[in-house]
Amino acid sequence: MTDSDIRVGVDIGGTFTDLVTISDGTLDVTKTSSTPAAPEDGVTDGLEKTREKTGVQFDAVDFFAHGTTVATNAVLEEEWADTALVTTGGFRDVLEIGRQARPDIYDFQTEKPATVVPRNHRYEIPERLDERGDVSTPLDEAAARDVAARLVDADISSVAISLLFSYENDVHERRIKEILQAEGVDASFSLSSEVLPEIREYERTLTTALNAALKPVMDRYLGSLETEIADLGIRPDLEIMQSNGGIITADIARTRPVNTLLSGPAAGVQGASYVAGLAGIENLITMDMGGTSCDVSLVEGGDPMVATDVEVGEYPVNVPMIDIHTVGAGGGSIAWIDDGDALRVGPRSAGAEPGPICYGRGGTSPTITDAQLLLGRLNPDAFLSDALSVDVDRVEEIFERELAGPLGKSVEGAAQGVLDVANASMERALRVVSVERGYDPREFGLVAFGGAGPLHATTLAAELDIPRVLIPRTAGVLSALGLLISDILYDYSTSRVRNWESVDPSSLQATFDEFVAQGREQLENENLAESQMRFERSVDLRYAGQSFELSVPVPDGELDSQTKATIRDRFHTTHRQRYGHAYDDEPIELVTLRTRARGLVETPNLRHDTTTGDTADAITEERPVHFDGEVRDTRVYRREQLPAAGSFTGPAIVEGAESTVVVRPEQSVEVDEYGSLIVEVQS
Amino acid sequence: MSDSPPIDSVTLEVTRNAAAAVCEEMNANLIRTGYSPNIKERRDCSCALFDADAEMIAQAENMPVHLGSMPFSVRAAIDRFPRESLDPGDAILLNDPFYGGAHLPDLTLVTPVYHDGELIAFTANRAHHADVGGSHAGSVSADSTEIYQEGLRIPPVKLFEGGDPNDAVFEMILSNVRTPNERRGDLRAQEAANETGRRRFGELADRYGAAKLGVALEEIKNYSERRMRSEIESLPDGTYSFADVLDDDGAGNVDLPIEVALTIDGDEILVDFTGSADQTAGPVNAVFAVTASATYYAVRCVTDPEIPPNHGCYRPITIDAPEKSIVNPDPPAAVVGGNLETSQRVTDVVLGAFADVVPEKVVAGSQGTMNNVTFGGEDPRSNEPYAFYETQGGGFGGRAGKDGLDGVHVHMSNTMNTPAEVLETAYPLRVARYELREDSGGAGEFRGGLGLRRDITVRDHTASFSLLADRQTHRPYGLLGGTDGESGSAVRIDPDGGTERLPQKSTHSLRPGTTVSIRTPGAGGYGDPAARSKAAIERDLRTEKLSIEQARDAYGDVVINEITGSDTNSVNNGGQSDE
Repeated sequence: MTDSDIRVGVDIGGTFTDLVTISDGTLDVTKTSSTPAAPEDGVTDGLEKTREKTGVQFDAVDFFAHGTTVATNAVLEEEWADTALVTTGGFRDVLEIGRQARPDIYDFQTEKPATVVPRNHRYEIPERLDERGDVSTPLDEAAARDVAARLVDADISSVAISLLFSYENDVHERRIKEILQAEGVDASFSLSSEVLPEIREYERTLTTALNAALKPVMDRYLGSLETEIADLGIRPDLEIMQSNGGIITADIARTRPVNTLLSGPAAGVQGASYVAGLAGIENLITMDMGGTSCDVSLVEGGDPMVATDVEVGEYPVNVPMIDIHTVGAGGGSIAWIDDGDALRVGPRSAGAEPGPICYGRGGTSPTITDAQLLLGRLNPDAFLSDALSVDVDRVEEIFERELAGPLGKSVEGAAQGVLDVANASMERALRVVSVERGYDPREFGLVAFGGAGPLHATTLAAELDIPRVLIPRTAGVLSALGLLISDILYDYSTSRVRNWESVDPSSLQATFDEFVAQGREQLENENLAESQMRFERSVDLRYAGQSFELSVPVPDGELDSQTKATIRDRFHTTHRQRYGHAYDDEPIELVTLRTRARGLVETPNLRHDTTTGDTADAITEERPVHFDGEVRDTRVYRREQLPAAGSFTGPAIVEGAESTVVVRPEQSVEVDEYGSLIVEVQS
Repeated sequence: MSDSPPIDSVTLEVTRNAAAAVCEEMNANLIRTGYSPNIKERRDCSCALFDADAEMIAQAENMPVHLGSMPFSVRAAIDRFPRESLDPGDAILLNDPFYGGAHLPDLTLVTPVYHDGELIAFTANRAHHADVGGSHAGSVSADSTEIYQEGLRIPPVKLFEGGDPNDAVFEMILSNVRTPNERRGDLRAQEAANETGRRRFGELADRYGAAKLGVALEEIKNYSERRMRSEIESLPDGTYSFADVLDDDGAGNVDLPIEVALTIDGDEILVDFTGSADQTAGPVNAVFAVTASATYYAVRCVTDPEIPPNHGCYRPITIDAPEKSIVNPDPPAAVVGGNLETSQRVTDVVLGAFADVVPEKVVAGSQGTMNNVTFGGEDPRSNEPYAFYETQGGGFGGRAGKDGLDGVHVHMSNTMNTPAEVLETAYPLRVARYELREDSGGAGEFRGGLGLRRDITVRDHTASFSLLADRQTHRPYGLLGGTDGESGSAVRIDPDGGTERLPQKSTHSLRPGTTVSIRTPGAGGYGDPAARSKAAIERDLRTEKLSIEQARDAYGDVVINEITGSDTNSVNNGGQSDE
C-alpha cells in the first residue's frame, strides 16, 4: 500500500454512522445519523457528505471496511429467519434446556432468553458417536430422508445441524447435509463441526443455531449494501469486522454471521489500541463510556484479550470475541436514594431522550452528567454544540430536592457523591478485566473515549494507580478508524480432550498443519503474499479434572516432546499468574487446539497533527471547579487549539467537540504528535 | 429507621460494592480452579465475607441453600477456635451438620483476615464435594439412618496453620474418601479462593483504614435491615398457615408433614414450623441451618430480592423449629437429603403461606425436589474409581402474568447440568436422552413449567446407583385454581428392554448396558385454566409441549375445537411420548 491509497471505514452505531477516510495519510471524519430501518442508507448518506466535503473520488477507493450491528440487533430483537435444527436422537431439547439454571435466583419473574428454534422445528435423527469420535450407532439415513420431507413441507430457509461429539468427527453432520440437499431441501446450512467444533453441546448447538438464524438476515443486508456502494462507483470487495477484532470478507461474513456479533465494539477497541500504540502504549485498558453504559476491555502487547465465553443478549456464544465487560453506568444514569437511605446510581438511565436535566428536553431526574455540570466540569454554555438549553438553576433545584436535602449535604456535596458512587461501579469493571484476570493495572495505560469517558478516566486511573491516561483526538470515531488498521483474521479450532503427556506431538502437528493450510488458502484467495501471513497456534489446557481452560501459545516450528514440555511450563506459569497458584506435579489435559491465520494489513502513515501556536492561546477561560470537596480555579482549554507537543498541568478542563476532559490537580498533560492527550497521573 | 447513619450514604454504597466485588472474585476463582464437576460445571458453591463478629457482610451465592446456612459455619469455627487461638495463615475446615455444616458433602473453609496484626474479618466458602466417604459412592445415600453412614464428619479443624497445610488433617480426610486426588484439588481451590478474598479485603482496609471500614461494614448490615423491615412493614399483619408433605423418607415412613404458621407483626416476621414431623429414620432431616436458609430464601423472593443479602436482612426474621423434628433434628440423625429435598418442601410451605398475603409475588408449586442421582464404580477405561453426582431440573411454578419456566432448577438449587459430552468423556456413562416432558406442567391461566427426562446408560461395567428424590407421589400444588403439576418417576430399563419402576429413595447395582430414566416433576399452574388465552394454548400445542388429549382435558373441547378449527388432532404433529 502507498500513501496515495484511499481507505474507507464505516461504523454504524445506534445513533450515529461514523465514516473515516484516509487519503494520502490525511484523516477525514464524517458523522451522519443512523437509519435503523435500512442501515445501508446511512452509509450512502455519509459517503455523499464526505465527497462533498473532501472531493474524494469513489473509483479511487481501494479498501472499504465496515463494522455492523445488523447481527447484534437481530439477536437483541429476536428478528431472525425461521430456522430448523437437526440433532442426535433424544437431544432436540438441549437448545431449550440450556444449562438448566434459571437466569436469576431470587427473581420469580425471571425469563430465559427466547429459544432460537421452536420445539416443533427441532428434528432428531438416530445416530451416535462416542467421546473419541468413533461411530457407536450408525446414521439412520431413512430417518434423515423423513426429516428432509418435513423440512420441505415446513418451508424452512436455514438449517442448523448439531450432533453430539461432532468436533471429534463430522462424518454424520456432513452426511445429513448431503441427504437433505439431495432430497430437495433448498436452504442454507450451518454445521456445528464448522461453526464451533468444540466440546459442550449446548453452547455449540446454540452458536450454530444462531448462525443459521442470522445467515439470511446478513445475506440480505450485505447484498443491499454492496449494491449501494457499487452504484457509487466503489470497486473493492466489502470487508467486515468480526467480534475478534479482525477483518473478513463479506462472503465469509455471510456464512459466519455469528462471528460479527460484537463487530462495532471490537472495531472501537482496535482503534483505541492503534492510537495508543502511536503513543508507545502497548498495554492498555480501554474505557468507552456513553450515555447509558460503559464498555471496558484490556489490550496486552497491542492484542485485545479475546474470550470464548462471552454472552451476547444472555446467549453464551462461544466463538472468539474481544472480551468486553459492560456496566450500566453512563452519562445519563440516574442517581436516587433507596429506601435503605443509600445513594445509588443507575441502572435506570435517562438515555438520550429526555436525557439529563441539563439537556433541557424535559429530563427531571438527576444524572451523572448533571453532577458533572454542578461541579463545574462541564460548561453550561458550550458543552454540547447543538444549542441545547442548559438551565443550571433547575439542575440545582432538583439536586437539592432529590439528593442534597435527604442526604444532608450541599448540592455540590451530593453531586460529588453521585460521581463517587458511579466511579465505584466503573472501578469494579476495570478490576474485573485486569485484577481478576491476573493483570496489574499499574502496568497499563487507560484509554478513555465515548462522550463521558474522558470526564471520569483521570479519577479512575488515580484510584487504581494507573500511571497514564490517553484521550484520543478522534475518540468518537475510533471504531471507524479501527476498521482501517485491523488485520485479517481467521480462527480455526477443534476440541481434543486428551491427557497432555500421552498426546503424540505428530498428531498435534497434523491438526495444526491442516489449520495452517486452510488459513493459507483463505489468505491467498484474498491476494495476500506469504510475507503478509502469520499463523499463531495455541492450545487450551487445564489440570486434568478442572473444567476451565487457559490458552497457551505454541512455539513456532515442528512440535516435539521438547515443545510439549515448554508448553506445559507455560501453562503452569499462566495458571499461577491468573489464579495465584499452580501445581507443577499435577497431570494436564489438552482440550482444544487453535490456529489463528493473520493477514497483515499495512497500517497507513497518518500525517502528524500540524496545529501550531502557544498552549496558552488555547485557554478560553478560568472557572471554579470542584475536586473532592475543594474548589479550584481551573483553566479551560479548547481542544482544537492545543498545539502538538504542547503541555500544561492540572487542574484543567479540556473542551472538545466530542467530549470534555477533566485533568485533576497535580496531573500533567502532553499533546502528542497525533493530537492525543496524554495525562501523567502520578507526578 | 429514622436514626441517621454513622457513615454517609456515599461511603455506604461504595464499600458495599467493594465487599460484593471481593466475594464475586473469590467465586470466580473457585469455579475456575475447582476439580469436582459439582464446583466447576455445576457451581454448587458459594463465597462470603464476614466481619470480625462473624456476621455476614456480603455473599456471592450460586446456591440459595447456602444463603442462610454459611453464617452457622463461621460461628461454629470461632466457637471452636476463639480469636486468641487464631493466627494469620490459619484456615478452618468443617462439614459437621450438627456443628456449623448443612450436610456432609458441603465442605466449608473459614479464613481469618488480619490487618496490622488485628483480626478484622473472615472469608469463607462452601463447596459440594463429589465424595466424602460413607456407605455409597458420592455420599448422597438414600438409605442411611444415621449420619455415620453418610461419610466423614469433620468438626471445625485447622486445615492450614500459619500458612502451612496441616498434613495430618489432609491425610486423615484423603484416606476416608473415594477420589482423593479430586478432593485435594478442590480443597486447594477453596484455599486459593479464601486467599483471594483475604488479599482483596486487606487492600480495602489499606485504602479506607480498618476503623473506618469496620464502621462501614456495620452500616452495610443496618442498611439491609432497614430495607427488609420497610418491606415487611408493607405486608398486612396476621398469621398465615400452609401444610404440605414429603412423600417418604426412604426408610418406610410416608407422608411426612411440613407445616408452617407465618406471623407478620409490624416490621418483623415469625416463622413457626410446629406441627412438622418428628425427626425420622431416613436421610431427610434438615438441620436448623438448612431450614433457616430455605425460609430466608422464600422471604427474600417475596420481599425485595435486590436487598443485599447479609446478616442485617435476617434480624427481623425469627424462626421457630421444634427440637428433634424433621426441620431441626438432633444427632445422629441422617441428614443428607434434608439439605436437598426437605429444604425444597420448607420453601414450598413458606411460599404457600405467603400466597394468602401477596398472591401476586409467589409462584405455584415447583418441582419440589432436586432429583439427586449418583453413579459410582471403576472406570473400565482407566481402572480408576469414580463417583459422579448430579441433580436434575424440572418445572418452575406458574406465576402471576407468566407461565412457569420449563426444565430448570427451582428454589434452593440452581446448579448447571453436566454437558453430555463432558460427562461421557470423564465417566463410563452415556446420556441416552435429555428432553422436556410434554404435558407435565399443571394447567392454569399461567401453566406450570415442564419437567425433564434424562436417561443415563452404564457402559461396560457394573455401577452402583443411588437415587434421592421426592414428589413422585404427591404432586406440586397449583395455585388460585391452577391444577397440580405431574409427579416424577424413575425407571430402570434393562439391556433386554425390560423395565421396572424404582423407588424414589433407593440404591441399586446396575449391570452393563442398563439405563436409568429419570422423569422429573412438572410444576403447578397459576390461576383458572378457563382464563388461559387461546394464543397460549395454541402455542403449547404447536410447539409440542401439550398434547391435544391433555389440552382437551385441561381446557375443554369447546376451546380446543375453536383453536384447531375442528375436532381432529391436527395441530399436534407428533412429539415424543413419555412412555
